Amino acid sequence: MPESAELYFNVDHGYLEGLVRGCKASLLTQQDYINLVQCENLEDLKIHLQTTDYGNFLADQTGPLTVSIIDTKMRKKLCREFEYFRNHSLEPLSTFFTYMTCSYMIDNVILLMNGALQKKPVKDILAKCHPLGSFMEMEAVNIAETASDLFNAVLVETPLAPFFQDCMSENTLDELNIELLRNKLYKSYLEAFYKFCKNHGDVTAEVMCPILEFEADRRAFIITLNSFGTELTKDDRQSLYPTCGKLYPEGLCLLAQAEDFEQVKRVADHYAVYKPLLDAVGNNNEGKALEDVFFEREVQMNVLAFNRQFHYGVFYAYIKLREQEMRNIVWIAECISQRHRTKINSYIPIL
Amino acid sequence: MLFQTKMLMGEVMREAAFSLAEAKFTAGDFSTTVIQNVNKAQVKIRAKKDNVAGVTLPVFEHYHEGTDSYELTGLARGGEQLAKLKRNYAKAVELLVELASLQTSFVTLDEAIKITNRRVNAIEHVIIPRIERTLAYIITELDEREREEFYRLKKIQEKKKILKEKSEKDLQQRRAAGEVIEPANLLAEEKDEDLLFE
Repeated sequence: MPESAELYFNVDHGYLEGLVRGCKASLLTQQDYINLVQCENLEDLKIHLQTTDYGNFLADQTGPLTVSIIDTKMRKKLCREFEYFRNHSLEPLSTFFTYMTCSYMIDNVILLMNGALQKKPVKDILAKCHPLGSFMEMEAVNIAETASDLFNAVLVETPLAPFFQDCMSENTLDELNIELLRNKLYKSYLEAFYKFCKNHGDVTAEVMCPILEFEADRRAFIITLNSFGTELTKDDRQSLYPTCGKLYPEGLCLLAQAEDFEQVKRVADHYAVYKPLLDAVGNNNEGKALEDVFFEREVQMNVLAFNRQFHYGVFYAYIKLREQEMRNIVWIAECISQRHRTKINSYIPIL
Repeated sequence: MLFQTKMLMGEVMREAAFSLAEAKFTAGDFSTTVIQNVNKAQVKIRAKKDNVAGVTLPVFEHYHEGTDSYELTGLARGGEQLAKLKRNYAKAVELLVELASLQTSFVTLDEAIKITNRRVNAIEHVIIPRIERTLAYIITELDEREREEFYRLKKIQEKKKILKEKSEKDLQQRRAAGEVIEPANLLAEEKDEDLLFE
């Protein structure tokens, strides 16, 4: 429905929107981060986290506390919240949630394919899969012998099927490098997600589309920069760029031809949004890393999403912000446990 | 030298572990991808022999083989941190190889020194005294024999003297009895009756 979001949104999704805003209010603030940074060891960290919304999530943890335990427990907590949202959602919000889980599913599928092709035991791989991206046919993966078998038997049922069809023409699944496959899948996923949001129209489109455009352009920049010096050809590189961003089509052509960082920077200079970001990147060890600059911008856009009401973007933004918070906490925990405090303040502040 | 290398090793490992944390922050969890793509070793080691003061020491030298099968990992996120991580761990591995060479040569040299020490001790406290004792014995024996010889000579002289005295006495007795005719003495001045003209 075009202009009637305010009228009809709350009927189906009002409860969930209220819930997610409440959860957003419990994200760690700058003061919390300052407290965490001053901890001496992981036990202190756990005590500080108990005062926040994380509560006693580590309470039943016996034995020595390690960073990976903290990471897994935080992820489980996030999954529980997400599952709750998802179970209470109606269409089209449920499709939106499915789209959100697709990116984790892509990672899991790549892992499973790799493992199945190398005849590794399925249980080990399942333990390593991201819980947000689990789908029903995951255990059936080990019956397949080759990758195309895998596709025809298992993946056809998942929401990832159309993405696979975009990438493959004639059963080229077997020869494709696993990283190229992952990036191609992600590109078709991003474009499909973008189309869905745009078709949904009104406030959701207004909020989600810029976020997804930024994600597409960010991937294009990073793929370009990381492919210098590798055996990735320019055509291959161009086929990995998602086309739903601001850089399409001229920027992507220019990026595909770029040979070094200076040329990439010149491409970014054409776009007012990206010029200041790439300018803020220093060389090597001084200044910020490009990834950090992109993270900050993403966090900024996600926080802004909460300024408008009656759209689905709040759920996407909340999950992304939680993930960033998890990354921050893990970073601080690693710095503390490795006693390497010089860079402990290079987490990305959220609020 | 070994101590310094070990300290450096500690630093390098710490740096490498920290860059792993950095890479995980940006790129997410790539550990399973890495573990699953392992097939052949990229850095291998050759062992050569080196001779130091007569002791053969093994020396390890590393060489690269094959291409980097993880070039495209982290293509979408964290590629720069991953590259830094690879460099750090490569440095750590090289340092480890060097450390291994140093450690083995240290241990081997230690063994060699112990062996040599034992031999020196043995020679000093066993062989030399034995020879010295033999020498001393020989010397005493020789002295003994010399004394024996001396004594024997003395005895023989005495005996000769007695014999000589006895025969002198005998001779005198016979001379006194007139049984001995003195042989002609060529040197005595005597007139010869057969000569007519003098």
